[in-house]
Amino acid sequence: MSVKQISAFLQSSPGHLARILALFESANVSVRGYSVSDTGDYGIARFIVDDVPSALNVLEGEGVAHAETDVLCLCLDDAPGELARVMKVLSESGVNISYSYSMISTYIVLKCDDEGKAADALSAAGYEFVSLSKIPSVA
Amino acid sequence: MLHTYDISRKGEALRAAKDGAFDQLPIFDEQIECASREYIEALQLEKLKRQVKYTYENVQYYRDLMDQAHVNPDDIKSLEDVRLLPFTDKSALRDTYPYGLFAVDLDQVRELHASSGTTGKPIVVGYTDSDMDVWSDCIARLVQMAGVMPSDNAQMAFGYGMFTGGFGLHYGLQKLGCTMIPAGSGNTERHIQMIEDYGTTVLIATPSYAMHICEVGEEMGYDWESSPLRIGLFGGEPCPPGLKAEIESRMHIVCTDNYGLTEVMGPGVSGECLASRDQQHIAEDHFLWEVVDPDTGEPVAEGEMGELVLTPLDKQAIPVLRYRTHDLTRVTKEPCECGRTHARMDKVRSRCDDMLIIRGTNVFPSQIEDVLTGIEEVTPHYHIIVETVNGMDSLTVQTEIRPEAFSDSFQEMDAIRKKIEEKLKGVLLVGVKVQLMEPGGIQRTAGKAKHVDDRR
Repeated sequence: MSVKQISAFLQSSPGHLARILALFESANVSVRGYSVSDTGDYGIARFIVDDVPSALNVLEGEGVAHAETDVLCLCLDDAPGELARVMKVLSESGVNISYSYSMISTYIVLKCDDEGKAADALSAAGYEFVSLSKIPSVA
Repeated sequence: MLHTYDISRKGEALRAAKDGAFDQLPIFDEQIECASREYIEALQLEKLKRQVKYTYENVQYYRDLMDQAHVNPDDIKSLEDVRLLPFTDKSALRDTYPYGLFAVDLDQVRELHASSGTTGKPIVVGYTDSDMDVWSDCIARLVQMAGVMPSDNAQMAFGYGMFTGGFGLHYGLQKLGCTMIPAGSGNTERHIQMIEDYGTTVLIATPSYAMHICEVGEEMGYDWESSPLRIGLFGGEPCPPGLKAEIESRMHIVCTDNYGLTEVMGPGVSGECLASRDQQHIAEDHFLWEVVDPDTGEPVAEGEMGELVLTPLDKQAIPVLRYRTHDLTRVTKEPCECGRTHARMDKVRSRCDDMLIIRGTNVFPSQIEDVLTGIEEVTPHYHIIVETVNGMDSLTVQTEIRPEAFSDSFQEMDAIRKKIEEKLKGVLLVGVKVQLMEPGGIQRTAGKAKHVDDRR
């Protein structure tokens, strides 16, 4: 039900993110969604990619500090209040969201402190989880 | 009619210096400080002979070294003969820690002081009554170079403790007749309150801390121009001329700094007068100086840049011969406009080795390396950046995160960063900012790595 997200350490200097993306390109890996956040000194870039093994392989080979993390991907209805509804489901089940970002329009990524509990609550609320292959390409 | 300057009034010492009226500025011991070169050198030779004999007879360490080099105290017949003697490096004091170089019984020692060590082992030095007199004498001279008068109230913003800066200045100022206000370091707002309430006229601090006091005062709305404070005595770290000028104009005071090191005495080896503000007069009756090529140990031509080597001529508790300071400077014997004849050394801006002085504390890159080596989440590659932030020294250590230590959580990454900061602070005794870099993010150099970027 969860998908593999790849995170990479970002040094706060020009060209760093570009370098990682160039590595993905060289491995023919397509980025389906991403988020970048920083502390001022360093940052973490998080990616949802179509080909996780190839992406990991190229990062490993280049010595990039990276990690693989399980996250939940959901597709929401494109209607007002839908995002709020997801968060309400999680808050009512006592799950904390570490971070969340959206990929394309209604596709969102969630990292929760208790993934199992989050998944159960979301399933019970009628959500379907999206696997990597189900994330649509934008034509 | 000649204008008379009341040096004890704010701004007058600088005004007199600007007008070239140096005869109106005080000189603590005119007979010695303005003696002829012939007199100074004759006195130095007499003292050198006596000191070498004293050292040979009382310190096994030197006796052995001199015997090995087949040098006898009687071989010292001229000042140049000092070159026959062995050099002393900091390691000598560390290797003989604590009392190996002491020439007297401990019951003749009035005070012990210590300096931070590189690998956790500090050096300790002692002073007899006579050593304390010489020390106060040196301090009294240099504070008068800045225009300090017996009527002044002097507030100490150095930490006291084992650091030689605190008590060294304290005794010298007392010897001159000043009222001491032993505030110690820290609590900036209280310092400012005390300056105002107690009528403090002289502040003793590191230049970066003085700058901090200045800024905090400005933020509090304190009016430095109408403040009783008129003199800043700086030490503990090199003072960039720009910083000094900035402090002088913003605090409306006159500032000088002095040079010294624990191994040969402490502060007061040389001091800045108001006529030669990029230089410092060496107390030549108490110290014999040499300037040598740091690589060969051979003397450089007169007036050339080299490593300062000092032989204290009166030291009783720990006589030290030819101490290698690792400080780079050049020395001139030209008489100074202020009237003093004692040689002037350029203020030390760099050292032969790579020790850093951060807010008055000695920091060695090797200490940082040692700490990082013991932390599994980072590689041993590092880079040190020292800069002046808001007038204070700021130390940043960049270190590379190991790929396997990376985590998707900022919380965990920050915990690593904080852990390193705490470990570094525990060893260095100064606060450090750690910056995590990517693996390979620290530039590699062929040969000797350049670890330090000192931007001060």
